[in-house]
Amino acid sequence: MKNRLKVLRAERDWSQQDLAARLEVSRQSVNAIETGRYDPSLPLAFRIADIFDMTIEEIFLREEEPRAD
Amino acid sequence: MRERVLSAASGDRPRGRSPYLWVVLYLVAIGIVGTLKLTDAINGPTGFILLALATGLLIPIARQRTAGCASKAMVDYNRRVLVSSFGYALGLGIAVTLWDNYELSRPVVFAISLLPTLPTFGVIWAMARYLAEEQDEYLRHRTIMAALIALGLVLALGIFWGFLEMFELVPHVWAWWVLPVWAIGLGFAQLWQKVRDA
Repeated sequence: MKNRLKVLRAERDWSQQDLAARLEVSRQSVNAIETGRYDPSLPLAFRIADIFDMTIEEIFLREEEPRAD
Repeated sequence: MRERVLSAASGDRPRGRSPYLWVVLYLVAIGIVGTLKLTDAINGPTGFILLALATGLLIPIARQRTAGCASKAMVDYNRRVLVSSFGYALGLGIAVTLWDNYELSRPVVFAISLLPTLPTFGVIWAMARYLAEEQDEYLRHRTIMAALIALGLVLALGIFWGFLEMFELVPHVWAWWVLPVWAIGLGFAQLWQKVRDA
């Protein structure tokens, strides 16, 4: 899943380690999520959204357009 | 609070020498003991005692807290596997020595076969505890994937070897080899993940 984590982190001048510390996860986790290799669980996605004071949808982007129905 | 969290995750750099040094020293020690045993320079019990002592070279790794590279659950896992490995080398040494030197009844043979077996159950238990205790979901996911790759290796090799053995192309292999092969598969899978994540 695509996400804006790297941009949001850069805007705040945070390193991956800084964000990892705020989320209380490993730096590897942040790196894997940022590069799209790992999709976080819903609780972790909410924690990420809380850290950036945004909604999940503003950080994680849909891969495809939603269906009309 | 924030400083405490940051410190917990970014501080605590590995203390002392690199963990790779201890792994290399351990492998060198294992190689030396194996060579001495194969050349009959030492007898079986001495080899097993030296093997158990060599396990001590891994203690610094188990004691290191490498935040960012390993979680607390991983530190606990390393410690548990270390203790189990020590118990395995010791139990195997005692069992083989008794088997080689005494005429044992079947119940006693059953009992001594448990000496190296139970510590290997400790390794399986340590993995189960790690998966239960790991708070970092990505690290847990990574370990589960590595364990599944290792399991696939064991199944593939086991089935292939079984048929080769059935058609008398290869010698018989004892079933306890599943654990070392699984551990080797786990190691390779984790190494590949480490390289990929670098």
